[in-house]
Amino acid sequence: MSVFQDTHEMKEASTGSLVAVVAIMIASALGFTLMTAPFEKLLGPGGGALPAALHGMMAFLYLFVGTIGLYLGWRLMTGHIRAFADLQLLSVVAATFSFLAICFGNWLYIFYRAPIPDSPRSYFVKNIPAVHGVFFEFKEFGALFTLPLAVCAAFILWRYGLQALERRWLRYSVAVLFGLAFFYLVVAFGLGAAVTKLKAA
Amino acid sequence: MTPTMVEAKVNEKNVEVAWTPSGRAPVPGGVAAAAFMAAMLGMLTLAVVNVFTASFKTFNAWVFGIGKLWMPGAEGIGPYSGKETLALAAWLGSWVILHLVLRKKDVEISRCLIVFLIGVGIATTLIWPPVFEHLAGWIGGAH
Repeated sequence: MSVFQDTHEMKEASTGSLVAVVAIMIASALGFTLMTAPFEKLLGPGGGALPAALHGMMAFLYLFVGTIGLYLGWRLMTGHIRAFADLQLLSVVAATFSFLAICFGNWLYIFYRAPIPDSPRSYFVKNIPAVHGVFFEFKEFGALFTLPLAVCAAFILWRYGLQALERRWLRYSVAVLFGLAFFYLVVAFGLGAAVTKLKAA
Repeated sequence: MTPTMVEAKVNEKNVEVAWTPSGRAPVPGGVAAAAFMAAMLGMLTLAVVNVFTASFKTFNAWVFGIGKLWMPGAEGIGPYSGKETLALAAWLGSWVILHLVLRKKDVEISRCLIVFLIGVGIATTLIWPPVFEHLAGWIGGAH
């Protein structure tokens, strides 16, 4: 039996206004931080302090978005999603954060593998070889997997639109993409945080 | 405001989705299949290229050269820049080709998902350092 009903929703804030609010909040936080604290001390003494901060920030934001995406992906898979438009938007944001985290990760990698005795890689190879040889190597490749997965999910959600809801296997497939992207994100994030804790670039 | 439909789907137990009916023509399954297969091929390319760079120094140098062609800071990033480049080229290149081939075909997504998961599983196994180092030693030692 099919049950149809009209949902009378309150008028929602536009995407532009939401982006503006987020931008103002971030700018306020940055402004207060810069006015009240020595920025270079906040970043740290290493040469790779700035790319490390940006890479970490993008990865952290992606972790937030990825967690929400995982939940909405689960709702999509079970066929109980009502926030489909939110999932569409979120998928693009997730893909963007994945791309930015990889770009800043590339920049940071230059400092990580610098051919000097004090670089993290030199330190790990000399003192704890497994950290570089196993965990960092796996992290650097696993992190790249998040981009095709996130882009693929975003593409399918936008290209198929509401038709994705009507096709069971397409719903399952997109949910799997969100799940896999989250898995590689958590692996990369966890190992990256651990490596940074041991020896920051 | 467009009304939102809440429909209890008869053929799927306990399934309820909120959606607004779309007037668009159905998109063939081949469009999604192309996106899935391309993503899988990009991941597999990264994994396989990494195994072979660990096996052969000359191939490693060639891969590094590919990265240096365009990537800012590639000199500092090393062969990783070339591995990223080749994976990106395989992903986007295969996506374009597969999209053109499959976009009008109604491919079964369930089969596509199984192939995709097998490919992703292989790629993940191949990027695990103990595995790719062992494989690289075996491949490199055989030549």
